[in-house]
Amino acid sequence: MTSGARVSLVVNGRRREVADVPFGERLLDTLRWRLSLKGTKEGCRAGNCGACTVLVDGRPMLSCLLLTHEANGASVTTIEGVEALSVGRAVVRAFEAEGGLQCGYCTPGFVMALVGHLASPGADRSPAAVRAALEGNLCRCTGYASIVRAAQRAAKEVA
Amino acid sequence: MAGVEWVAPSTEDEALRYFSSDPPSAVVPIAGGTDLLLDLEAGRVGPRRLVSLSRLPWRELEWAPNALRIGSTRPLADIQADPRVRQAVPGLIEAILAVGGPALRHRATLGGNLARAAPASDVIPLLLAVGASVELVGADGHRTVPVDQFVRASRETALRPGELIRRIVLPVPRPSAYRWHRVRPVNDISHVAVGGSFDPGTSEWTVAIGGVPPRPQVERDRTLGARPSDAAIETFARAVAERVPLRGDLRASEGYRRRVVAILVARTIRAVAMADQIGSDRGSAA
Ligand SMILES: Cc1cc2nc3c(=O)[nH]c(=O)nc-3n(C[C@H](O)[C@H](O)[C@H](O)COP(=O)(O)OP(=O)(O)OC[C@H]3O[C@@H](n4cnc5c(N)ncnc54)[C@H](O)[C@@H]3O)c2cc1C
Ligand code: FES
Ligand code: FES
Repeated sequence: MTSGARVSLVVNGRRREVADVPFGERLLDTLRWRLSLKGTKEGCRAGNCGACTVLVDGRPMLSCLLLTHEANGASVTTIEGVEALSVGRAVVRAFEAEGGLQCGYCTPGFVMALVGHLASPGADRSPAAVRAALEGNLCRCTGYASIVRAAQRAAKEVA
Repeated sequence: MAGVEWVAPSTEDEALRYFSSDPPSAVVPIAGGTDLLLDLEAGRVGPRRLVSLSRLPWRELEWAPNALRIGSTRPLADIQADPRVRQAVPGLIEAILAVGGPALRHRATLGGNLARAAPASDVIPLLLAVGASVELVGADGHRTVPVDQFVRASRETALRPGELIRRIVLPVPRPSAYRWHRVRPVNDISHVAVGGSFDPGTSEWTVAIGGVPPRPQVERDRTLGARPSDAAIETFARAVAERVPLRGDLRASEGYRRRVVAILVARTIRAVAMADQIGSDRGSAA
């Protein structure tokens, strides 16, 4: 019985073959430690904080609760690749314009959650829906007001 | 979970074979993994092999004349987004929206939530209220079990060793609603929650009270009718809150919980009755 195998992913548009990934490994760890993409953060490692959010085939998912092998063959977008997307650029600009961060630890997760929502087909860009898209993300610094403003600005810009 | 093996069969037969060839505790199914990965990390389960259900063609959403069939591995987000589901069983959408945040719902499945049978599950009370059933598949073939018999106690279900949830079947249409109470809206469990539904065929109301270990409690009524008065709703809600078996704990006292049950039962019934799904005076409300 083997305990690992090769995984093939398209990460930020680039094909990556990763050898010998243990079956129990989570995508968060593969991204950070095997692919050196440290922009994706580990907050709680238990699904509670959203800091580890990435896009898997365009959908926001918690990389701390996803086995890397479950993502085999998928296209993964992390914060490092977000500016290749037009929605991603709009979201990053909006966070800059509204000062939507302080320490920045939660920011990659908020950005990916928002990009995942706004880039989905037929996305609801109403203020309530945009706010709801961020419900799974926690921030210890900002008090959220500037993040919500950034999100509403981004939603208007991409509309 | 070092050394665990993982396989992802693409057919039902192949999946079932994995479960018949090994002792039960050695093989565990993984759907979204949002509960299971935490169980693995905490050492609550220690299988040799994980059988992923994610490559199985089990994600369908099918409409039969009086039923909606949902494949067990369909992510919650894909149910939530469907306008026809919203119309046919509005309470299911409300219950799904109560589960975690959006990224969690893109991964978490309906089958996983049921199989886990957590006392605080947000979808089980609603499935009980609408009278849903689960279709199970195992080495001995398929069988269908009402959710009321499927969920036995906290983390205890009618699943036999090696058996899997294939799909969930909901009678439709079912005017329904889900109301919950928590300290924080997300990242907190529902301390008390109520799923409610009205069966237009039999004029029966069913409410299921969640967040009360060991499992949600079901209450029915045939006297309220399609257009219950406020007074009748209050009387029913108070009676339910008095007799439902529940305890106080660190989070909330028994008395507080009973009060919240009464309030939520009344709100749920009003939400169903006033959503204009029952009767037809849509025009006069405007
Ligand atoms: C941060 C966080 C917040 C959460 N918030 C909520 C909440 O508010 N409300 C709520 O109800 N839940 C909540 N959950 C719990 C969880 O997300 C849900 O129960 C989810 O629906 C489980 O589905 P899954 O596909 O991820 O299950 P998995 O983790 O894959 O599986 C759960 C269990 O069911 C078994 N299993 C899975 N699929 C099948 C099948 N088809 N047949 C037989 N057995 C199967 C697995 O072996 C495992 O034991 C939360 C979880 C997290 C991590
Ligand atoms: S690290 Fe994944 S949700 Fe917190
Ligand atoms: S900016 Fe510090 S956690 Fe959000």
